[in-house]
Amino acid sequence: MSTPEAGDEPGGENVTGERPEAEPVGVTEETTVHEEDVELERTIGLVGGLAIGIGTMIGAGIFVFPGLAASEAGPAATLSFAIGGVIALLVALPTSELATAMPRSGGGYYFISRTMGTSYGAVVGLGLWLGLVFASAFYLVGLGHYVVAVLAEIGVSITGLPVGPHVLLGLLFGIALTALSVTGTENTASLQNVIVVVLLVILTGFLTYGVLDATGLFGRESVPEAFFSQGQLPVLSTAALVFTSYLGFAQVATVAGEITEPKRNLPLAMVGSVLIVTLFYVVTIFVATSSFGAERLGQFGETAMVEVARDLLGRPGAVLILAAGLLATFSSANASILSASRSVYALSRDALLPRWASRINLQYGTPHVALGMAGGPILVLVATGQVEVLAEVASFLHLVLYALMCVALLVVRRRDPPWYDPSFTIPGYPAVPVLGAVASAGLIAFMELASIAIGVAIMALSYLWYRYYATDIRLKGDV
Amino acid sequence: MSDRPAVLVPIRVLKGESIPDGVPELLADAHVVLLGYHVIPEQTPPGQARMQFEEQATARMDELESLFEDAGATVERRLVFTGEAQKTIDRTIYEHDCLAVLVPDAVVALEDVLVAVRGTVGIDRLARVVSGLFANADADVTLYHVAGESESDADAETLLSGLADRLAESGVDPDRIETRIERDRKPLAAIIEASDTFDAVVMGESDPSLATFVFGMPAEQVAERFLGPVLIVQRERPESE
Repeated sequence: MSTPEAGDEPGGENVTGERPEAEPVGVTEETTVHEEDVELERTIGLVGGLAIGIGTMIGAGIFVFPGLAASEAGPAATLSFAIGGVIALLVALPTSELATAMPRSGGGYYFISRTMGTSYGAVVGLGLWLGLVFASAFYLVGLGHYVVAVLAEIGVSITGLPVGPHVLLGLLFGIALTALSVTGTENTASLQNVIVVVLLVILTGFLTYGVLDATGLFGRESVPEAFFSQGQLPVLSTAALVFTSYLGFAQVATVAGEITEPKRNLPLAMVGSVLIVTLFYVVTIFVATSSFGAERLGQFGETAMVEVARDLLGRPGAVLILAAGLLATFSSANASILSASRSVYALSRDALLPRWASRINLQYGTPHVALGMAGGPILVLVATGQVEVLAEVASFLHLVLYALMCVALLVVRRRDPPWYDPSFTIPGYPAVPVLGAVASAGLIAFMELASIAIGVAIMALSYLWYRYYATDIRLKGDV
Repeated sequence: MSDRPAVLVPIRVLKGESIPDGVPELLADAHVVLLGYHVIPEQTPPGQARMQFEEQATARMDELESLFEDAGATVERRLVFTGEAQKTIDRTIYEHDCLAVLVPDAVVALEDVLVAVRGTVGIDRLARVVSGLFANADADVTLYHVAGESESDADAETLLSGLADRLAESGVDPDRIETRIERDRKPLAAIIEASDTFDAVVMGESDPSLATFVFGMPAEQVAERFLGPVLIVQRERPESE
């Protein structure tokens, strides 16, 4: 099979007559080059890329899920997280290869639309945007829980509200974060780097102590418990639930157009952040289930880690983990809002969303419409306060994306168009992308029916939008 | 002319920053690398800014380019959307092998130029910039050196006369070259004070040190206080050439 030359340049127009932007003529280590000597500087280095990946991921898995996961899968929740990590890695590798061949804004959406065609791209792109919206809403509800816990720790309890206090706080933070991004405080990314480093230091210290304690080094017996206390099947359904904790490496891909030395830094940032985060998750769940036992852990809910820390280190431990939880959920929500805004930009660039969606605010220089298209729906979702459903829908949409990214790699390798020249090629082809696709799609089967239904509905609506709005759009690589 | 020194002229193209009067004439004999850049906050992807502003920026660049071409310079241009202006400027200096960077400021009539000479390091590049730009101009060139404590007057004179000879060889009229040596002063303060009576300043970029992190590069401090244009001769970049 060979790609017709005509398919290599974008064309066609949408309902309102807008056309996709021309593709850049080249990519260097420091820039994206367009015609007429116009360049886009790449300014995010390896550390920044890792910080986006780790910063997005480390929040949910450690600070929201341990309680939920333990109550569903028992101590085997450790295994659930490990499974999630392996699947994430199976997808992160193909994503890295695609990213080094196409280091452009939009990440997964870009890869799929350029290798499998505009219709797939549209469904995935809109799905990615909304998936990030669901993920951010989930992180914000988690953040709300942490603020409530902090207030409880200092003796303040909020009562008498029509909604839960964590929902109200989540809404407030959602508004604040969106406003912060729009009014354009500088150094939000550098702040992210600092937050991630502080977070990793706190966690490393805490987990080291926890592991020593759990293995009985301090003379304390860990709670004896059957590993598969809830049976084996919940291990997989829990893996599906907690997969939200691994969505961060896709966020690295959404800023692929801004990463320096993309050929080296993109694979390192994506694969590296998955490995680091998986390690932290597995150890965390091990420590958490060892100190309390799964059942009591489950009763503590979203802020179970605080009780684990209190148990291990007393009140200072609780305060430390509360602080870390605030930082982590904050940085996850922040990174997801920014990524969602970049997805909107990528879609608008390709005329799959109106061009005005990527307008830039003249006063602040920020994409206020795109940020609003992230922040607005996020608030609606936060208002529902449904942590598990939000997490699962986000997982569902991302799993579809991941499965298709693996397929995209298989497709593009088969077709081998002249422009496809990745500098990083994955080991274990075709086994790795095939396994990645099967595993991603397989996890979906273990989800709640309601989440699958919402996810499918979003994809169906996305497809209808594409048919209505942009049927004629032809993107590079479209056949 | 083949030995036109490449001079970078960075302009924040959409912020109304312009080329001040006299600058195109100052660089008439240069190979101008015109860098139009637009700084965007981190939450804005550069591509998004390009979509919205490219047309406007390109039109502005056309105007600026013709200003320099009309004065006689050769011009190469770049339009960059960036989150980090300094990174963009550094990269452009490196990629185009620019000898000097211009910090633009108005100059009414170019009559005398102050050339701050630090030492033998980088003197070759300094000479290439001064002779390339001013060999055909009518301006007087004053070679200025603040001698260090361990440096004898003879050493300082050798340094400056060596440079003067070299400039004369490259076509600068020897009658227009003057030398001036000072001592017992902090070089930076001395240069700033001396620059008062000149129309333009040429000086070297200094090595980054702890003090430059705190107070900024000396050349930048001069550029801030001096009212005319400052040409900052760049250190040799590693791996360049």
